[in-house]
Amino acid sequence: MLDLSGAIERVRGIGEEPPATRLFARVGVVRAHLAARAAIALVAAGFALALFLRLWQIDTIGYNSDEAVYAGQAAALANDAGLKPFFPVFRAHPLLFQTILSVPFHFGVSDLVGRLLAALFGLGTIVLAYKLGALLYGRRAGVIAALILGLMPYDVLVSRQVLLDGPMTFFATLTLYLLALFATTRRPAWLYAAGGMMGLTVLGKETSILVVGATYAFFALAPEVHARLRDLACAAVIMVLTIAPYPLALKLAGNGRTGEQYLAWQLFRRPNHEWTFYPATVPLAIGPLVVVAAAIGIWFVRRELTWRETLLLSWIAVPALFFQLWPVKGYQYLLPTAPAFAVLAARTLAWRVEGRPRLAWAASAAAAVVALSLAFATWQRVERPAAGQLLAGAGGVAGGRELGHWIAGNVPEGAVFLTVGPSMANLVQFYGRRKAYGVSVGTNPLRRNPAYDPIPNPDRAIRASELQYLVWDVYSAARSPFFANKLLRYARRYHGRVVHTESITVTKSDGRRAQRPLAVVYEVRP
Amino acid sequence: MTRAAVLVATAVVALAAAAAAAAAAPVPRTPISHFVTLMQEHHSFDNYFGTYPGADGLPPRVCMPLDVARPRGRCVRPFHLGGHAVKSLSSDQRTFLAQLGRGRMNGFLDVYRRQGIDGTIAMGHYDARDLPFYWNVAGEYVLFDRFFAAAPVGTLQNHMYWMTGTPGSRAPDVIPRRGFGRLPTIFDRLDARGISWKVYVQNYDPSVSLRTVARRARPGGRGSRLLRLPLLAFPRYVDDPRLSRHVVGLPEFYDDAARGTLPAVSYIIPAGAGEHPPGSIRSGQSFVRSLVNSLVRSPVWTSSAFLWTYDGWGGWYDHVRPPRGYGFRVPALLVSPYARRGHVDSTTLDSTSILRFIELNWGLDPLAPRDAAARTFMSAFDFGHGPRPARFLAADRATATGPEPRRSVIYALYSSAVVLALSVLAWPLAIRRRRTVLAAGEAERS
Repeated sequence: MLDLSGAIERVRGIGEEPPATRLFARVGVVRAHLAARAAIALVAAGFALALFLRLWQIDTIGYNSDEAVYAGQAAALANDAGLKPFFPVFRAHPLLFQTILSVPFHFGVSDLVGRLLAALFGLGTIVLAYKLGALLYGRRAGVIAALILGLMPYDVLVSRQVLLDGPMTFFATLTLYLLALFATTRRPAWLYAAGGMMGLTVLGKETSILVVGATYAFFALAPEVHARLRDLACAAVIMVLTIAPYPLALKLAGNGRTGEQYLAWQLFRRPNHEWTFYPATVPLAIGPLVVVAAAIGIWFVRRELTWRETLLLSWIAVPALFFQLWPVKGYQYLLPTAPAFAVLAARTLAWRVEGRPRLAWAASAAAAVVALSLAFATWQRVERPAAGQLLAGAGGVAGGRELGHWIAGNVPEGAVFLTVGPSMANLVQFYGRRKAYGVSVGTNPLRRNPAYDPIPNPDRAIRASELQYLVWDVYSAARSPFFANKLLRYARRYHGRVVHTESITVTKSDGRRAQRPLAVVYEVRP
Repeated sequence: MTRAAVLVATAVVALAAAAAAAAAAPVPRTPISHFVTLMQEHHSFDNYFGTYPGADGLPPRVCMPLDVARPRGRCVRPFHLGGHAVKSLSSDQRTFLAQLGRGRMNGFLDVYRRQGIDGTIAMGHYDARDLPFYWNVAGEYVLFDRFFAAAPVGTLQNHMYWMTGTPGSRAPDVIPRRGFGRLPTIFDRLDARGISWKVYVQNYDPSVSLRTVARRARPGGRGSRLLRLPLLAFPRYVDDPRLSRHVVGLPEFYDDAARGTLPAVSYIIPAGAGEHPPGSIRSGQSFVRSLVNSLVRSPVWTSSAFLWTYDGWGGWYDHVRPPRGYGFRVPALLVSPYARRGHVDSTTLDSTSILRFIELNWGLDPLAPRDAAARTFMSAFDFGHGPRPARFLAADRATATGPEPRRSVIYALYSSAVVLALSVLAWPLAIRRRRTVLAAGEAERS
């Protein structure tokens, strides 16, 4: 990854120097050589650690609701007979990642394959973070940026899941890198390439259209990076052409109204988190020290910001501001800002002043501390995922897959389930291959995700024997106690009989191990 | 001390007797060791399945004359009832004979015209839109299209044939003054051989029996329960706790099914969900569906069979002339893991065929000449293969998903997007590579 050509050139030239100078030069070459080797080793170790964190127990816990939906869509695209009835190809988002995932799914649906593909995109983003850091601030910064991103809990956790945000972040970072290349070289071809990648980013997930805003902010705030209007128009046309498959596929291949309905719902839905959600969640996920390092670096150059910092700050500020104001918030929505954070922090940690090696050592030590803090935080999340607590997008659902497999093996085909919320309904459908409705899914089309089917009258459905099982789960109960109680009322009213309890073993505060119920399946009848 | 010893001895004897009975209980001759049967009310085969594909349904050009004396006069073709309000058509002996028309099967409307009522509704029929679950059952299991009511008329007579192989009394729907005396029932046969049985009664009221209600039941009155459950008109089934304990409320069926403790033979008696016009056919379907679902998810599913039929045609049109002494055709369906899939069985059957099946399966003696001579529905089973996995059938026939998306279009469009983006990216990369090569060449030359 490191370029040793400079050192080699110096080795070639030392034969023409006087003996004393030659000796010093030789020592310098050896040191440079060793430093390069150490850097390579460091990068390799960091990459290996990043790889390890992304793959460790990657398949131990089953999918969460969103993963089930995307994998279900991919399976439907792959014409999987078992999942096709429950997961329509067209739901809410574009299908780039699902289309890629559907290719291996033609040979069988596998949780592991889905997660490995997502992790592959995550690893690709690390490489891009290195390239971006190296392009903007030198190889040292590139190495540190890659190390930070590789160990960052935010990126590790999200890119271990079958979510659209990991691939979207990969394409967004590639776009960022291409914009940086354009700004460096001023060659319009890089701008066109950025337009194409921006299109793929949007095909990854439509919310990434915000990168257009970030790009606009960059060109507006960095007048020294001048782009001709013609070149910008060309890039925009390429972007639009790349995005075109999204609406075209909706129109030509199936359900043209799905996207419109989803947009209408997103525009008018109620907030799903407090305004403090991102300030409280994302800095911890990115790593407090990373944020501090990035902020310190920016603070020191606040009066002399170059286009480089402007580009990175635009990449962070536009999505962050937008999602802070947007009522719908999601843990993973700000992931595309993570590489920019990593590069900004790396810029600070790679700081060197000519003739002051101690400062360099201090910066290196700080980088090591940051890396260790990230690795520790990530390891905590990867090694011991919290059971019974669920933040959408933050990980798999413990017990969900096992519950689904029990259903698939023990409940007659054609059974219909009622769950507390749509999340568990998705898992029942994905792993259990049985139709499931969420009792919390409202019938008002303005107040519900159009991808979900409501059950207008569960009482009637149970009385008509159209609905035979209820599933109570600890995750949904914690999020919606009202609907959890409503579900339990149905269980009491309709002769609910517990037919299965899915539990996990937890260690209590006194050190004893105990079984904790995660989900309970009730059989009901009129 | 003596009293305690007697109690212990009695208990030991009772246990020994029970054990002996259990030990003596014959093993069924088929894999069916749990048989469930239900009798709904008042619909003809053509009324429910007249348009069912592959069944002997409504003749294509049939048009029923309003007046049999004027065969070229006004006539009514079968029509879809849908949400039409229906009424209870008379279905007594006179109506039956007039509709039969000495085998011409042309008096279905004329009889009502003569009574001064508009009977055109008798030509109405339901289809998959109205009976989605029943039609789903027919598509997945077995539909019988030659299942005749055992008695031409009478709720009581048909229920009696179902349990005893005899009509019980000569006058339709009249219970003899002293009940049915010592007339043997299928439950006597089962009991004698130590084979478990229960009669599950919806809305069961143990206080209703021969002793407490009038002999001639008023429609809808408490006494009408006896017509559907004539066991309550047998003194021994009312007075002997050893027998009466087998007659239980319907909730027990659900519990027994869930626990896997269903008896070998279960009779189910509906109350409000019997589909008797003008009762809701939808609530009847829901009721039957709840029973089928309970069986489907029961541990005994793999050794079970559930057959339900109807006690009479209810005045509705049916085009098949019944054999002498039988009523018009009625719907009948069989659900079992061994039932042939989507099979229309045309064996001539009636409710005594149910008795015959029980007798053959458990090696019991016939009760009466009718059940001794009855054919069974063994042809509806396929015991050559293992039991089918349990499966709930949908309550509707609408397709769950919309039209299939054109997958090739999706792949083509998204692939073209990737190719476009990569092509645009390849261009500056190629330029950079060319410039690097040129620069290296230049450096070498210099």
